[in-house]
Amino acid sequence: MELDPFELFLWEPIFLAGTPLAINRVVLLMFVASAACILFFLVGSRRGALVPKGMQNLVESAYLFVRNNIAIDVIGPEGVKYAGYLTAVFYFIFFANLLEIVPGINFPVTSRMAIPAVLALLTYVMFISVGIVKQGPIKYIKGVLFPPGVPWPVYILLTPIELFSTFVFRPLTLAIRLLANMMAGHVLLTIFFLFTADFVRFDITLPLGILTAIVSSVLILFEMIVITIQAYIFTTLTAFYISESLHGHGEEEHDEEAHPETREYETEGVAA
Amino acid sequence: MTFNFANIPLAQEEHAREGIDLILPETSELIWGAICFVIVFVVLNRVALPQIKAAIEKREQSIQSDKENAEKARGEAEKMREEHKEQLAETRSEANRIIEDARQQAEQVRKDIIAKSEKDAEAIVKRAQEQIEAERNRTVQELQGTIAEISIDLAEKVVGRSIDAGAQREMVDAYIKEVAAMSGNGDRTR
Repeated sequence: MELDPFELFLWEPIFLAGTPLAINRVVLLMFVASAACILFFLVGSRRGALVPKGMQNLVESAYLFVRNNIAIDVIGPEGVKYAGYLTAVFYFIFFANLLEIVPGINFPVTSRMAIPAVLALLTYVMFISVGIVKQGPIKYIKGVLFPPGVPWPVYILLTPIELFSTFVFRPLTLAIRLLANMMAGHVLLTIFFLFTADFVRFDITLPLGILTAIVSSVLILFEMIVITIQAYIFTTLTAFYISESLHGHGEEEHDEEAHPETREYETEGVAA
Repeated sequence: MTFNFANIPLAQEEHAREGIDLILPETSELIWGAICFVIVFVVLNRVALPQIKAAIEKREQSIQSDKENAEKARGEAEKMREEHKEQLAETRSEANRIIEDARQQAEQVRKDIIAKSEKDAEAIVKRAQEQIEAERNRTVQELQGTIAEISIDLAEKVVGRSIDAGAQREMVDAYIKEVAAMSGNGDRTR
C-alpha cells in the first residue's frame, strides 16, 4: 500500500481552473465551513428570547466563552472590544477544523496553509496596529525591542531575539502550529482508516483490522479535542498579542500593585 | 473524491511537486480563504453578535429588575407583617379590655341584683308581717265580737233573763279582760 501525501493535500481545480480564483475541493470545503459557522450563529441569534433554549443557549454560551474566558481573561475589561474578532477567529477555525471528522468529508481545511496564513496575517497586522495606535509607534517599538528592567548589555542579545520573535516568528508559529496539527491529525486518521480497510480484507489480518478500527474511533475522539484546542490556542495567542500591544511594558511599570511580579522582576534586574 | 485522477501525472509533469508545496498556500485558496473569513467576520459582527449581545443585555436587565422587584416585595411583606403584628396586639389588648369591662359590669349587675333581691325580700317579709298583723287584729276583733255575742247568749241562757245593754257590756269587757290575761297577750288588748 502506498500513501502519497500529495494526494492527501493537493487538489486539482474543479471550476475556474487557471484563474487566481480557481475553485478546488479545499475552496469548496471553505465555503461549507463558513456557511456552517454563519448558520450556527444566525440560527442561535435569531430569536433573542429572554429565556434561551436549545440553539440560542448554545450560541450564547459559545460567544460568552470567547468573550469571558479569552477576551476578558487575557486582555482585561477592555478586551470586550476585541471579542467580536476573537469570536470570528475561534469559530471560523473551529468549523474549518471540524470538517476533519465530519463523515464523508474527512478533510480539515486548516491542513492547507490558506486559512492559517490569512488569520495569522490578520492577527499580525492587528496586534502591531493596536500597539502603534494605543502606545504610539516609537514607544511601542521601543517597548518591544528594549524591555525595561534589563541592564543595557543584555540588549545586545535580547533586542535581536525580541525583534525576530515578535515581528517574524509570531505570525509564522501561529500559522504553522495550526497547520501542522491539523495536517498530522488528517494523516493519522487516514493511515488508520486505510489500515482498517486493508486488514479486514483477509481472514488472517481481520483481528488487526478490528483493532485499527477501534483505534480509529478513539483517534476521532482525540481529534475532536485537538480541533477545539487548536482553535482555542490560536484565539488565546491572538488575544495575548493584542493584550501585550495594549498594555506594553512601560505601562506595567507604573502598575505595580496590579502586577507585583513585574516589580520583583525589576528589582532582580537592577541587582544583577 | 470526484476530481479527475488523470490530471495528476499531467500536473506533475508541468511542475514537479516538492514537499514545500504541502506547506505553502495556493494563491486561489488564499484568496478564497480571505474572502470566506471576511464574510464570516462581517456576518457575525454585523448581524449575529449584536443580537446575541442585545439578548444577553435584555436578560441581565430583566434579572436585575426582577431582583429589585423581589427585594421591594419582600420589604413590603415585612412591613405588612409588622403591621399585622401590631394590629393583632392591639386587638388582643382591646379584647382583654372588653372582657374586663364585661366582668366588671357583670359584677356590678350581680351586686345590684343581690341588693335589690334583699330589699325585695325585706319588703315582702315586712308586708307579710303587716298582713299577718292586720289579719290577726281582724281575727281578734271578730273573735272578740263573736265571743261577746256567744257570752251574752250563754249568759242569757245561764241567767235566764235579759240584762240591759249597759250592764251587759260591762260584764263582757270584764270577761274579755279575764280571757286576755289568761292568753298572755294582755298588752295588745286594751
